[in-house]
Amino acid sequence: MSTLKEVLEGTREVAKAMGVTLKTLLTEPPVTVEYPDEPMAVYPRFRGRHELRRYENGLERCIGCCLCEAACPTGAIYVEAAENDPNNPVSPGERYAKVYEVNLLRCIFCGDCEAACPVEAIVLGHYIDLASYNRRDFILTKEELLNPPVPNTVVRPDA
Amino acid sequence: MTDWITITIDGKEIQAKAGELLTDAAARAGIHIPVFCSHPKLDPLGACRMCLVESEGPRGRALITACTTPVVAGGVYHYQSPRAVDARQGTLELILINHPLDCPICDKGGECPLQNQTLEHGPGKSQFWEEKVHKAKNYPLSDLIVLDQERCILCWRCIRYLQEWEDKPQLGLFHRGGETVIDRFPDTELDAYTSGSIIDLCPVGALTNRLARFSYRPWELEKTDSICTHCGQGCNLRVDVRTHRVRRHVARENMAVNDEWICDKGRFATGFSSHPERLTEPLMRVDGQLQPVSWSEAVKVVAETLKRIARQHGPQAVGAIGSAKVSNEANYLLAKFMRALVGTNNLDFREGSALRAPDGGLPALADAREADLIVLMGCDPAEEAPVLATFLKRAAIRRGARMVIVHPRAIEFTRYPGLHFQPAPGSETALFDALTLATRMARGEPIPDWLPALYGAGNAEEALAAAAGVADADPAAIRTAAEWLLAAQRPFLAYGPDYAWGYGSDALVAALRNWAVAAGHADRLGFLHTQANAQGAADMGMLPDRLPGRRPLSDDEARRHLESLWHTQLSAQPGLGYGAMLAAAEQGELKALYIMAADPAGEKPADAAALEALEFLVVQDLFLTETARRAHVVLPAASYVESAGTFTNTERRVQRAPQAVRPVGKAVADWLILMHIARFYAAGQTAAWDTPSVEAVFAEIARAAPSYAGLSWENLGHLGQSYSRPATDAALTPHEAVAPPPTDAAYPFRLVVGNLLWDDGTVFAATPAMAGLGHKAAWLHPQDAAALGLQEGDRAEIRSSAGRIEVPVHLDASIRPGTVFVPYSLKNAPVGALFDRFGPRTAVAIARV
Repeated sequence: MSTLKEVLEGTREVAKAMGVTLKTLLTEPPVTVEYPDEPMAVYPRFRGRHELRRYENGLERCIGCCLCEAACPTGAIYVEAAENDPNNPVSPGERYAKVYEVNLLRCIFCGDCEAACPVEAIVLGHYIDLASYNRRDFILTKEELLNPPVPNTVVRPDA
Repeated sequence: MTDWITITIDGKEIQAKAGELLTDAAARAGIHIPVFCSHPKLDPLGACRMCLVESEGPRGRALITACTTPVVAGGVYHYQSPRAVDARQGTLELILINHPLDCPICDKGGECPLQNQTLEHGPGKSQFWEEKVHKAKNYPLSDLIVLDQERCILCWRCIRYLQEWEDKPQLGLFHRGGETVIDRFPDTELDAYTSGSIIDLCPVGALTNRLARFSYRPWELEKTDSICTHCGQGCNLRVDVRTHRVRRHVARENMAVNDEWICDKGRFATGFSSHPERLTEPLMRVDGQLQPVSWSEAVKVVAETLKRIARQHGPQAVGAIGSAKVSNEANYLLAKFMRALVGTNNLDFREGSALRAPDGGLPALADAREADLIVLMGCDPAEEAPVLATFLKRAAIRRGARMVIVHPRAIEFTRYPGLHFQPAPGSETALFDALTLATRMARGEPIPDWLPALYGAGNAEEALAAAAGVADADPAAIRTAAEWLLAAQRPFLAYGPDYAWGYGSDALVAALRNWAVAAGHADRLGFLHTQANAQGAADMGMLPDRLPGRRPLSDDEARRHLESLWHTQLSAQPGLGYGAMLAAAEQGELKALYIMAADPAGEKPADAAALEALEFLVVQDLFLTETARRAHVVLPAASYVESAGTFTNTERRVQRAPQAVRPVGKAVADWLILMHIARFYAAGQTAAWDTPSVEAVFAEIARAAPSYAGLSWENLGHLGQSYSRPATDAALTPHEAVAPPPTDAAYPFRLVVGNLLWDDGTVFAATPAMAGLGHKAAWLHPQDAAALGLQEGDRAEIRSSAGRIEVPVHLDASIRPGTVFVPYSLKNAPVGALFDRFGPRTAVAIARV
């Protein structure tokens, strides 16, 4: 007797729970993402692939001061600075980064480079699709850093 | 004897030397008073006011500048009192008002006294919100130094350095108040040869190195204590490297050698080691063309061919030319390889056996600062050793040292009070004979008979007049010079290579030595080597008749000592010297030559034929020189910054030059190449060739050369060690009469050669920014130029019986009429092309092209 009662009660509870599932299935949007077929949303302060930013007038923000390189705990950044041609400057002031490389295999995405940068040139962006078959592809050149696949939002206008 | 007095700083009693500056006394007690304008090598000034402390006096406490205040016994000073701290904070705040704070792009950022002191003593925040004063930010003071006037804090260090050490007041302060700037005086060039020292002295980033600018941040540099190899002084410097590239050279203090200065050549001409034309792999001649080969192939071919030629034609058919530009280890191993394995004594280098240099070089560089009379004979420290020149200028302006200059040009030192003799090339011997006569007469000492006899005179008076006549000098001036040297307590006496080789140099060197001997200063007579390791290469036995330690080849005991060290038998037959080897090669008697870091064909095109006649020529060098182009095997050597080694400077100081950067391509250190070839040559019998490191090679040198006994790589330390100077013989040496080489209508001019600092040679011009600065012209007296119809910059042909060169002319009244000065290392115009049997004293003709 009591066995039959337990079976019936159990069935009702299961049906009740499945009702919640059914209701949620029909009324609420899915929380999972069909990655990589669908884009992955990230939080605004997410630290993804690096990018180098420009001023609105097109000049590069980076002045080649190497502070990011000094701050980097894993030695992932390499900067080689040079002197600007005053008639055709790359960045404001006298100095710019001739070479800027980030080794993503070394990077731990801590954001210290961002914090060290005095001109907000290097930022960690929202791009996270970092897989490749070739190790060389993980060394981002200055050209790649200046043209990120998913640009970050402009934080502050020209200084 | 130092008088010690007691002073009180912040209530603590400390001992101070009477009369020393308060900053120095405090530093000894561990109180480091901040300074900007004060520098231990410069006179106190008190311009920056950073060192304010309170001093108690009869009228209460007053703020004083500690860097200009000598301490007094019982003085009471307050460094940490609220008023003193406040005053220093205020000073820093004022200094920073117009400082641009562009530290992220400033080369000094990271090693900047202003940054450090702001952190330690600054107020932490500024009350100044207004717009800063803007000044020139990229202002070229010269081709090598850039001034950022905004960063300048007006400490005057650069101004004072140029005045106090270079005696060239070229920089000054202009305008007033907040607009004050440093600038050159009108119509003045910043051309002092040690001008780069002001970059090191600048306490902020106002003065920067044009060539190194923006190529490093101080914290990321690998710093190697090394030396400079551009001249014989061997100044101590630091090589700063980042990512396997030399970024800059900065001076390093060594009171015995260079104080704290290096010249602009040592500082800026650093590009040769990373030059794109460096040899990066071994080359071998295949079908008439030099083709890249592997190291193992090159070593095998060199060893086997040398062995075959030595067996076939006898060891005398093989020779080696070493170099005064490379390390002791490289020269030692090349000499050892030739003597111990090949069995020949055909060994020399360009400044080797032909140069009449004393074994002991210069007594001591540091003596120059204390000199009371400066005698320069055929040497020009301003061009040949610019840091030594600052010492000599210091002696002249601080101690009133007078000059006696014997030089074919009116060199820079002729601007100081003294005498300048300008004998025509070939007649210098007569001048020194006259000086010897005048000295002996002034001392009332007998004149040896041979001396007046040289001039066909019966007595000293007549001989003096006759010799002065030959030298075209005023007898009264000769007597004055002789009296000055007799009266001098600490004279600086030096002669250089220009008087020590070629026609008549035996007599000339004997004559100038005789003068020093007659005046009782034989032990002070020194030789100023112009190549980094001319002293060391000779010490290593890179000479046809001398063994390591300069022991004669004929010394049986020395040979036995080396035989046991090298496990071999040594030949006692003296070898051929540099010139004799090339002559033997041309005649086909010398079959194989091993040339290390030398370029006979580039220096004297006539020698190219001798090299081409060789059956086998091996060249080991940095670049594909004219000589290397004629080689059968070319071995790429590592430059001195890429390999470790020791160098011995002109005052016999053995100094380390450790490896600072990795070699380019497949280049290998000179000593290591020789080790590999020797081990292959020895074919299993390698017991004597078991020195796997440069330290081990140096340890073997210390055993082979008695003068180096007791030295080791470790105990050389960062400042090097001198070995003791061999005793000098203090007797007059008879010599032959020297007649000036004849000039005639066909060759009416006398050639004068010499070194200029900005020489346009391979090593100098390899730094692109320097290439434009090198001297490119031959110098002619304006009178002669007018007679020839030549003007500044015109191209002229200089011709001798031996050859010709084509160069632009530079008109300069500092040379003697009737002479033409052709500096060494002119590009495409090697003065060696002109040398006939009179060598550097050849007669030449000049014509417009």
